[in-house]
Amino acid sequence: MTLAMNVVQVLLLILMAPLVRGVIARLKARIQNRRGASVWRPYSDLLKLFRKEDLVPPSASFVFRLAPIVVFTATLVVAAFVPLLHGSALLNATGDFVLLVYLLALGRFFLMLGAMDGGSSFGGMGASREALVSTLAEAPFLLALMSVAIAAHTSSIAGMVRWTMGQNFFQFSAVHALAFVAMALVSIAETGRMPVDNPTTHLELTMIHEAMVLEYSGPSLALIEWASGIKLTVVMALLIALFAPWGMASSLSPLAIAIASLVLLLKMTALVVALALVESSVAKLRMYLVPDFLGVASALAILAVVFTALMR
Amino acid sequence: MTQVLFSSFLVAMLSVPVLTLISCRWAKARALPAVLLMGSLAVGIAVATTALYGGQKFVIDVSQVASFSFALSVDRLSAFFLLLICSVSLPVILFSSSYIPRHYSGARRHWLWAVLPLFLMSMVVVVTASTLFAFLFGWELMTLFSAGLILIDGDSEERRHSIFVYLLMMHAGAAAVIGAFLLFLPHAGNFAEMRASATSMPPTLRTAVFLLAFVGFGTKAGIVPLHLWLPRAHPIAPSPVSALMSGVMLKTAIYGFVRFAFDFLGGGPSWWGYLVLLAGCVSGLLGVLYAIAEHDLKRLLAYHSVENIGIIYLGLGAALVFAANHSPVWAALALTAALLHCLNHAIFKSLLFLGAGAISDAAQTVDLEELGGLLKRMPLTGTAFLIACCSIVGLPLFNGFVSEWLTFRSFLAGSEMSNFSAAIILPLAAGVLALIGGLAAACFAKVYGVAFLGRPRSREAASANEVPLPMQAGMGALAAACVAIGVFPGLVLRSLGKLTAELLPGAELPQAATSLSGILPWIALSALVLVASIAALKRTKRLTATWACGLSGLNERMQYTSTAFSKPLRKVFSQVYKADRTVEVVPDGTPYFPVSISYRSVRTTSFERSLYRPGVDAIVAAANRLRQLQTGNIQIYLLYIFAALIALLVFMRFV
Repeated sequence: MTLAMNVVQVLLLILMAPLVRGVIARLKARIQNRRGASVWRPYSDLLKLFRKEDLVPPSASFVFRLAPIVVFTATLVVAAFVPLLHGSALLNATGDFVLLVYLLALGRFFLMLGAMDGGSSFGGMGASREALVSTLAEAPFLLALMSVAIAAHTSSIAGMVRWTMGQNFFQFSAVHALAFVAMALVSIAETGRMPVDNPTTHLELTMIHEAMVLEYSGPSLALIEWASGIKLTVVMALLIALFAPWGMASSLSPLAIAIASLVLLLKMTALVVALALVESSVAKLRMYLVPDFLGVASALAILAVVFTALMR
Repeated sequence: MTQVLFSSFLVAMLSVPVLTLISCRWAKARALPAVLLMGSLAVGIAVATTALYGGQKFVIDVSQVASFSFALSVDRLSAFFLLLICSVSLPVILFSSSYIPRHYSGARRHWLWAVLPLFLMSMVVVVTASTLFAFLFGWELMTLFSAGLILIDGDSEERRHSIFVYLLMMHAGAAAVIGAFLLFLPHAGNFAEMRASATSMPPTLRTAVFLLAFVGFGTKAGIVPLHLWLPRAHPIAPSPVSALMSGVMLKTAIYGFVRFAFDFLGGGPSWWGYLVLLAGCVSGLLGVLYAIAEHDLKRLLAYHSVENIGIIYLGLGAALVFAANHSPVWAALALTAALLHCLNHAIFKSLLFLGAGAISDAAQTVDLEELGGLLKRMPLTGTAFLIACCSIVGLPLFNGFVSEWLTFRSFLAGSEMSNFSAAIILPLAAGVLALIGGLAAACFAKVYGVAFLGRPRSREAASANEVPLPMQAGMGALAAACVAIGVFPGLVLRSLGKLTAELLPGAELPQAATSLSGILPWIALSALVLVASIAALKRTKRLTATWACGLSGLNERMQYTSTAFSKPLRKVFSQVYKADRTVEVVPDGTPYFPVSISYRSVRTTSFERSLYRPGVDAIVAAANRLRQLQTGNIQIYLLYIFAALIALLVFMRFV
């Protein structure tokens, strides 16, 4: 039963991902006084792309077509570590938060390689910039997760979530506050959203993620797009699970699960609205200001770790 | 039985140089040295495996028949490093069996085949020695033989200077090692006596031993700022020799340090651990940052050795801190992480250097700016190199991840310490390790992307051909080992657990360490199924030109270069590099219509400028002043002799 529930969680994360992107795009359009496309648009985009043919540059090797598959697979495995509706996940092991961070790094590494295989300057440019952002984002991401792990005295993500569910909201410690802000900043960089990267840009010179996938088309592009949607959803689910898991089902009764789904919907909506508001109101940072942005995240994450020792 | 096997292993290794002499007169026996060397290494693997898994100790003592105390003994720690040396050297020699005849002929080839086994032998002596004499004998020969192997590629002024720096620093390091041994006097004869006498030593003497061992072995391992020789000596050796030096020789220094710090001294106060942690952080970060700025592949890899030694030292430092705070279980985990990273680094770093050898074989250069698109022309080399890149970056399902994960896990355990500073410093060190990992990922995305992907940047790279089968097989074997340990870490973790339990009494590898070996095979399986099933989906493919903003005529010069790729990171970490940059525009004062622009950027690391330069200057100044004694005038020398005679007579009168 638990196993079935865990599988449902993973499927939900995967299938929900395009919808989350659709809602964000729609909300942003509304805030910017446009009508915007339907929230289901990303699904039809994916369908269309899957039906098309793959256009491959003549210089490309097998890495070019392997990269999207690796990115998609790595993101899928990451999704299996995150509890969504109840305090358990399909995969869990001690110290799996390190595995989560490094699986995301695996996907990114291959995406960078795929970008450079196209043989154009844009691919290299995107990869080089992605290398800068991801290098500096990895340490705060890991430290923030680690501070939560230290506070919860467990090193598996599902364990941390269960521990937080047992805590009272009003006893929320400074560690969690610091780690939450650090994680939120890192998530923006990790998923390539404003103000670090603009996912809707059409100008090659300002692109990071988009420059990397410029050469991709058809099913390969669909895999990458879907994977980045899943990544966004997973990171949001991770933020919810680690810092506000209250309302998750503690038993597997239909009522508890129904309530958990409703609460999850509310929390996701809140995050999506927040993201849309931020993306519509701030301008993209100059690239050389991104290290400062991530420097703030690192400082907060370091403080969170220091506080775990101070507050015990 | 094992003893006989071990003796025959040593004899077989020693017979290779002799056979090389014979085979050089007999053309049919050309492959003989390589075959015999590989055979003896296989015997060595068998010996090491039985000693490591079975745990029996055995000794070969020459002191009973000779007048000097030369004894070799194999315990678990020695067996682990013996296994590392033999199992990594075997594929390297397989690679060399085709690489050396392709690149060296006549006397140089015989020289290589004669010195290579002696170099391996000296490393075997170092890790199995159980007396002071045997250890130092092996230690010095290791330096000399490796220098002899570097010399094979010519002796231009620049190369001789690099070798001079190498030998100088090695001897300074050896002096510190000898000092560490001599402090055990009068018990410095053999290891068992040293171990027994260490417990009754006064704390200051123990600290002196530790510091001398730290500096002495640190010089050989290449920790910053004692790394200066490493990026000079490793890149100029023949590629298989670089592979052995970086992959294997550096590990003998780790062996020596573990032998001293854990086996002889049995740990010490916390600050020993913090010192080692600091060395690890600095070496790891600066090593990878210097590597990013390089575009000579072999020098880049040499800097990555500094980085990985840093990661190993992070584990060792954590182990010392845990041992000082009375938690041997976590100390065992951290030590396991460090030792496993030794093995992993030996595997993937020698694979990377062999890859560099294959590249220089096929494209006649290892300058990244001249390469590109090699994966299409050298599919097997390219795939093996990709696996090595993933491993060194520490990506899951490859071996580098396992040891890095264990290091992370032990840092997390640091938060459970009752000691306040340990509880803050150890978890924060995880942040440093994550940053090192991120930087390494950026660096190897650059290396692989520029060298193997995209379009070829030179005619040589465009006409590169796959290397011959023995070279492919050598690289393939190492790549397979990377994946095998990455997916089934239990293969080595269990025996490492027994080893650390021997070194740290009362320690048993915690449950946490083995949880990973439970989950990794499943992740690998599901990932494989996913990748295979997605790849099996029918995707029609059509070749089209790369997007160039709608213009035609995209060429290879428009690709991102290695230097361009690393520019953002070099800019962010500009404080580390402090490059001297000169831009000359001709004619002067016409920025918009220049005839020519020349750009030069030279990096001398700040260690050379602020740490070594003053010392070197002082020595040269002192030598100049002493030169005044040497006038060349015979009367003055007679006066010196007379004065010395008088002084001695006076001395003897009063003593």
